[in-house]
Order: sequence, then structure tokens, then C-alpha cells
Amino acid sequence: MRVSSTERMLNYVVLTLFALFAVAPVATIFVTALGPQLGIATGGLHWGNFAEAWAQGDFGRALGRSLAVAALVVTSALALSVLAGYAFGTMRFPGSTLLFYLFLLGLMIPAEAIVIPLFFDFQAIGLTDTIWGVALPQIAQSTAFGAFWMRAQFRALPENLLEAAAIDGSTSWSALWRICVPPLLPSIVTVAVLMFMWTWNEFLIPLVMSPYKTWATAPLALNVFQGQYTADTALMASAGVIIAAPIVVAFVFGQRYFINGMLEGATRG
Amino acid sequence: MTTPPSRAEVRAPRRWGRPSAVAGSRAAPYLYLLPALVVYGAFMLYPLGRTISYSFYEWSGFGAATFVGLDNYTSLLGDRAFLAAIWHALVLIVFYSLLPLAVGLVLAAVLRRGQVRGLGIYRALIFLPQVIALVVVAVAWRQIYAPTGGLNSLLGLFGIDSDIGWLGSADFALSAVGVIGFWLETGLVMLLLLAGMTRIPGELYEAARLDGAGPVREFFAVTLPSVRGEIATALVLTIIAALKTFDLVYMTTRGGPGTATTVPAFEVFNRAFNHKQIGSAAAVAVVLTVLVFIINVFVSRVGEERRPR
Amino acid sequence: MKSRPTSSLRALGGALLVSALALTACAPGSGTPSEEPTSGETITDVTTDIESLGDVELVVWDQEVRGSQNDALEALNAAFEDKYPNVTINRTSQANEDLQQQIALALGGDDVPDVVQVNNARGDMGQYVAAGQLADLTPYADAYGWTDRFPDSVLGKVRYSADGTTFGEGNLYGLPQTGEIVGIFYSQSKLDELGLEAPTTWDEYHAALDAALEAGELPMVLGNIDQWPALHVFGPLQANHVPADDIVALGMGNAGASWLDEGNVAAMEQFATWGAEGYFGSSPNGTDYDAAWADFTTGTGVFLPAGNWLGADMEAVMGEDLRFMAPPPGLDGQVATTGGTGIPFSVPANADNVAVAAAYIDFITTEEAMEIIAENGGMPVLNTADLAPESGVQNDIYTAFSTVSEEGTLLPYLDYATPTFADTAGQGLQEALDGQRTPEEVLQAFEDDYAAFTG
Repeated sequence: MRVSSTERMLNYVVLTLFALFAVAPVATIFVTALGPQLGIATGGLHWGNFAEAWAQGDFGRALGRSLAVAALVVTSALALSVLAGYAFGTMRFPGSTLLFYLFLLGLMIPAEAIVIPLFFDFQAIGLTDTIWGVALPQIAQSTAFGAFWMRAQFRALPENLLEAAAIDGSTSWSALWRICVPPLLPSIVTVAVLMFMWTWNEFLIPLVMSPYKTWATAPLALNVFQGQYTADTALMASAGVIIAAPIVVAFVFGQRYFINGMLEGATRG
Repeated sequence: MTTPPSRAEVRAPRRWGRPSAVAGSRAAPYLYLLPALVVYGAFMLYPLGRTISYSFYEWSGFGAATFVGLDNYTSLLGDRAFLAAIWHALVLIVFYSLLPLAVGLVLAAVLRRGQVRGLGIYRALIFLPQVIALVVVAVAWRQIYAPTGGLNSLLGLFGIDSDIGWLGSADFALSAVGVIGFWLETGLVMLLLLAGMTRIPGELYEAARLDGAGPVREFFAVTLPSVRGEIATALVLTIIAALKTFDLVYMTTRGGPGTATTVPAFEVFNRAFNHKQIGSAAAVAVVLTVLVFIINVFVSRVGEERRPR
Repeated sequence: MKSRPTSSLRALGGALLVSALALTACAPGSGTPSEEPTSGETITDVTTDIESLGDVELVVWDQEVRGSQNDALEALNAAFEDKYPNVTINRTSQANEDLQQQIALALGGDDVPDVVQVNNARGDMGQYVAAGQLADLTPYADAYGWTDRFPDSVLGKVRYSADGTTFGEGNLYGLPQTGEIVGIFYSQSKLDELGLEAPTTWDEYHAALDAALEAGELPMVLGNIDQWPALHVFGPLQANHVPADDIVALGMGNAGASWLDEGNVAAMEQFATWGAEGYFGSSPNGTDYDAAWADFTTGTGVFLPAGNWLGADMEAVMGEDLRFMAPPPGLDGQVATTGGTGIPFSVPANADNVAVAAAYIDFITTEEAMEIIAENGGMPVLNTADLAPESGVQNDIYTAFSTVSEEGTLLPYLDYATPTFADTAGQGLQEALDGQRTPEEVLQAFEDDYAAFTG
């Protein structure tokens, strides 16, 4: 395909402008994080802000909790979504459409609408302040999306794949893991990354479900930190960078794989 | 991401035989669904049901509750704060859905036509906003919108002297929040569309080119019709995001100035946790969920009707 | 959707409706244990002998996360555990807003803390009292002599009638540790530069503001993006136009006053004028609270109307140049300004260890405790004048607090008034500032909220 040089120039201009727009706020916060704290007049880059924010905000433990919650949510939701997607995507059965729309409804329920009854129930059965209390509602949320996504992936598999498996004498269980899952791995990874991102960034559910803060995740730690050192924009920004860094680093290193998985996954259906 | 339900509807035969070639019994699909259904039912549907039941009560979240029938709903009809919130959410759809769609189409089309060096880097950078926690996003944008912040400095470079605090301006605050939404969602929309475009067979473009189509005509004749499904998916997901917006408003404007940026999800939170009107909060939540559902059914249907047969 | 899903959607809607109807059969709260109001239940076995109670874990939820307050409470907790080796304190502290939201949910259950900081406001303490969820500490007040220790003006802010309808008298539902006062910060060198003196009357204050505006300075610093900071500007201004008793009634949500009287109109009009004519700069509603005072420390603006809690952080930057004053005397020559107590420590009605909780609250409000608070840089609610540092802005603050609390009136925060008044007032003042609504419209909204509540 030949593209004229004017058009190519224009393409670069459009892409570069928009990329700048996308990156500018991220850069802003990074630059602020390296700025001087209140009352310190000296210029230069203040890398010490990160160390200070880290030490004062107890972010080590918060990040650890976030990691544990995210790991639990992603593995559980992924397992449930693959099983559900397999049923929706490869099998015909009465009620399948209705059940599918039921899952789809889950994408539309705002978390604010369910946290209150969930809190009362969890408190009654002693689930608040446990990792399950924080994770289970998020597993349900992620499963709603995961079932929606995996259904499309399974439907996109060649139709004769299962028939071939049947001729081999496979059970549905072994066909799932031996035949279906391997070609779908890239899109499974992609949905796992999305679930991980959402869980990592979730605010309301850990806020409400962990009154004793035993499972306060990273975004909550940032909120507490804001209450403590709110004045100092440099420290606040440093703390923000600390919270965002694990995800951004993971994204930067995994983006090729992740985005390709997404491009591939999105074309199914 | 994936195509909307409308495109991938189950083609159900009239008689239900074996669920699939490998499924041993009719129970098989239900067994596979069971774990997800239990978790989803217990932690989403059941609490939603409870929320619906709360919405018929006047209740502060503790102490005794009084059954009030539909009062919580009827009082919403004359509730200035609620109606304003609904209107704001509809405005936000423009920023969260329609603008990202327009810009995303351009970006994806540019990327698809290829011959762009560093394609992967552009893709990644434009997607970056999706990755960052909203608490952090809010901190960044509050600085940008401050009277002495980045936006006013930028305007200064173009000779526009401004010291507006954008998030505090009755005229601009909602748009300012909307722009953050636009910033968040465009990368996602672009990627969805790009996925659809990379799938378009090259022959279609060659045929168009033989007809003497330039890039613009090519876009409207070939690209756009081919990604209708992805457009519908993008709209569904971003409209959900627009209507469910809570954190962003909570962390940037708290609904202000005045009530200029209140949104329904913020109303739910505020009524429940600050005003301690659980019943009213539940009613808003139910209305919101229904609204999201209706709009998305509508979008899916429109997307469906305009698809080429 | 093609053809079939429509019917499925309908079916789904039907299914949801059915399940909703089935669920309405059970009232909310059925999952929560304390459905029966426990109010009126009086504590009978008052004990102050903590050693005799065996090993106790005392669960404390507080919001003292800021440096100075946190240090003071940690020291007090350690001292309490030393005094009573059988008591272990299990402390959870978090940002106040998070805590208040948490309490609303947690008090309904069985798993409640023993001590918790509950905002005095009607929307918080008032509602919990009405629902019978806080323990009436009156018996302990007698046992420990709290009524002698605290002046009535302070105790009034933690007293409600047992049914929660009257605020300011009745049972006792908590005790505060610290005092708060809203006044005016200024930079001495800035005033000198402009040839101004610290104002002693409202006329002088207005003149100083005008002079600052003419000199091209920002007269008053206000970062009001979060809505509540404007209340701390309006409160003192209101005291210059409205009798203190009326403000107390309006602020505590007790019947008998009106937002529509002349004084309130004059105050609100003045406030709107300040907004329209740039006395707060171009965009107070678009400015961060923290950014605003941080800018003030580096030379932006002449006056900063705000609460004393900013003193320590700003002093760290500005040193001796930072000064604080109570607003000039208002009507009748009396000093009256918004202020009162820090968030009080209360005991939930369902708490496991009410006696130990009461002993703890007693312990952290003794004279020695007040000294520890002062040493750590907080402002104790008692003995404030005695404990005042010798110089610096803290001396100004302590002096202002003791003057107002002893000779004038500490006015309640206006958002105490009704459960929704924080929003009504916050939104209304933003709208008055930028002219979205007229002063009369804003006051009408205030009156509607107040009148609906007081009935």
C-alpha cells in the first residue's frame, strides 16, 4: 500500500499530538513528584521524595495486600470465566441466552449499588476484614466481564475442533484443557491483565469491606496518606507514582504481548 | 475486547439435543456454568435484589426501617439534585463515548494504514491512561486544572491569558471532568477499533483503490462499515463507564461547584454514606442500573439495524 | 439484538421483578442484628475499677492520622496500657471522611469498636443517638467528674436528648480532646509592606481588604473546590450580622431561628460581593484547599480565613511571620466565631467493654493528657491559656481560643444542623461565590433544609 508523504506527515502529526495529550498528565505527576517539598527552596530533582513517601505511607504492606487481593481475584475470576465461557461459547442448551444476559447485567451494576447490602451480609457471617470479603465482590464483577469475553473467544474457535476431539474420544473436560484453551491463551492473558488492573485500582470495595483496614489496598493507602501529608503536593505525587508504578511497569514490559492479545481477542466473535 | 452480544447471538435449534459434540450429558453446560453463577449470583445479583428491596423503605442504614412503597421513586421525580445528576451523566456520554469514538476512529485508521514507525509505541502511549489508578489520575488532573496549573500555562503560550480554576467554574467544570473521561477512554476505543480494522481483508481496500478512492473515501466506503460491530462494543463499554462514573467526580469536584457536576453514582454514594438515606440511595441505584440497561439495549439494537446484511 | 434476545430480555426483566418482589418480603436490617432500638437503656453497673476486669482488648477507631495528633494519641495509648496492664489497645486510624462513612455501616452490627470518634453533627452523632447506637455516658461523667473538668460550652457540643431531637442539652455522648477555632491567619511582613495593622474591628478588616485589593494583592485566600472551606469563611462573617444565639440554633438544627432574616441576608450578600469582586481571587471554587494555603505560605494573599489546624504546618514554613487572630468582635461587641471541639470520642451502645472505654476516654482528657497534646503540637480543649506556647502563631491561636471560649461564643459548624446541611451549605456557598444563584436563593435553600428538619 502506498501512502503519500503529505499524508504520512499528517499521520505523524495526529499521532504525536494525541500521544502527547495522553502522556502529559502522567508526566505532570512525575515532574511534581520530583519537585521540592513545601518550604524547601532548592531546585534540582528530589528523588528523596519517593523514599520519604514510601517510608511514611507504609506502602510496602499496602502494595503487598493489593498484590494478594489481585492474585486471588484474577485466578478465581479467570477460572470461573473460562468454565462459563466454555459453556456459553461451545454448547447449546435451554436458557443459555437468558443466562448470558444475566451475566451481562453484571457489567452494568454500579458497585455503589451493591456494597451496602454486601457489607451487612459479610459482617453477619464474619467476612469483613478478610481477604475474601475484599475479593469476593470483585471476583463476581470480574467474572461478569470474563464470561462475556471468554464466550466470544470460545465461539470463535473453528467449529470442527470439538468434533475432532469427540472422534478422539475426549470428554468435554479434557477437550476444554487440551484442545480449546491452548489457542486461546493470548486472549486469556489479556483478560487477566484487565482484571488485574481493575482490581488493583478498585477503591470503594476495599474501603467498605475492611473497616479495620487489615486489607486496605494501595489506593486506600494513598487516601490515608493524603489525610496525613495532604499539604505537600510533591509527596502526594510521589505516593501516587508509587501506587501507579507496578501497573505501569507491568504494562510497559508486557504491552506488546498484552495489546496483541487484545487485538487478537477482540476480532473474535 | 470483544463484540457485543448482538453480533454473537446463540443460534438455538428448536429441539435441544446434546449440548455439544464432546458434552456427555445435558447437564454438562450447567455444571460448567455453576461455579460462576453461584459466585456471581451470591455477590452481585443477590445484593442487587436486596438493594431493590431497600428502595421501598425509608431507612438510615441502622435502626428501624419504614416501608414507604414507591415513595423513594416518586420523590426522585421532583428531586433537583437527582435530575441534574441524570442530565450530567447524559452529557458525559458525549465525552466518554462519542468523542473517543470520533477520535479513536481517526487514530485507528491512521495506525491501520501503517507505514508509521513506532506503531507499537504510539499504541501503548495512547492506551496508557487506562492503566493508571483513578486516585492518581485525579491528583494529576486537579493540578492541570488549577488556576496556576498546566492548562492555563499552555493557554498562556498561545497568548490566552487565563486564571480560571477549571474544575470550579460553573460553565466549564462538567466539560473539564468530561475531558478527563475522554482522556481515559480514547485509548480503549482506539484499540477496539484497531482490532476490527486489522481484520478487514486487504482486497476490499484494493478494490476501492481501483475505483480511485482516496484515503477519506476509502475510510467511509470500506473501513467504517466493516467495524460497526466494534463501534457498538466500544459504545456499550464506554457508555457504561460514563453512566457509572463515581470515583472521578468524587475525587475531582465532589459534584461542585454547586451541583454542576453531580452524577447518579455519586448521588448513590452521597445519599447512602453521607445523608444516611439508604432507601433513597437504593432507589437511585436501581434507576441508574435500569437506565444503563435501557441505553445499552438501544445502542445494541441501532448498531444491529445498520449492519449490512 | 436480533429476534430472540428481545424475549429473553423481557424474561430477564420478569425474573428480576419476581426476585425483587420476593426480597421485599423481608425488611432491610433483617440481616443486621440491632434492629431493636436500644435507646433509653441506661448503664447501671458503672465501674471505674479497670484492673478487676481481667484481660481486655480495647478496640479504638480514630481519625488522628496527622502527625501531631497521632503522636499525642500514641503516647496516651502507651501510657494507658502502662497504667492498666490488663488492657491491650487495638487501634485503627484512618482519614476522618473514611472513618465517618465506616461508622455508619459498622454501628449497626455486633462487631463494633469500644471507642470511636464520631462527628458531633446531627447527620452523624445525632442520628446514631436517635437510633440508640451510642452509649449515654452521663453515669460515667458523674463517676469521673467530667462536668467539673469541662465547661458547659464544650459539653453542649456532645449533648443530645435521648431521642436525638434536641442538640446541645441532654445526655452526654462523648468527649473531645482538642479545641478548634476558625479565625484569620495573616503574614506580619505582608501587612507591614502594605502599611496595614491587624484589624480590630470589622470596619478595619473591610478597609484592609480594600487596601489589599487596590495594591494588587489577593485580599483573602480561599481554596474551595471541596465545598466545605467556604463555611469557615462565612461562619465568622455571619457572626458580624446575626446574634450568636440565632447562629447556635441554626447551626445545631434546633427550632426557633430563620435563615431569611435581615442579618443572614446581609452576611450572604457581603459574601457574594466578596466573590463577585475578586476578594478571593479569580476562582476560589476551582482552587485546592491545600494548594491555597501552601501558596499563602509562599507569599500569595494577605489574609487566610481558616481553622487553627493549619497553624503547625504553615508555621513550619513561615516561622514567626505567621500570625493568627480571632475575627473582630461582631454584634454587641462580642467575639463569636466558628469553632468548638475536635471530633469527640464516643462509645457504641453495643460495645463489649463500656467501662474500659469510659476509663480510656477519661484518661485521654485529663489535665496530664492535655499537656501531652500541647507538647505534641495539638491544641488541647482544656487549660488552653495555661498551656499556650510562649510565642509564635500557636500562642496567638491558644489565646484566641481561650478568649472566645471564655468571653465570647464558639459557634457550631454550620453543617452540624441537619444530615444534609453539609451539602446544602457547601453547594450554596459555592453558588453564591460565583453568582450561579443569588444570595436570596441560596438562603432559601438553607431555610428549606433547616425548616424541613426542625419541622
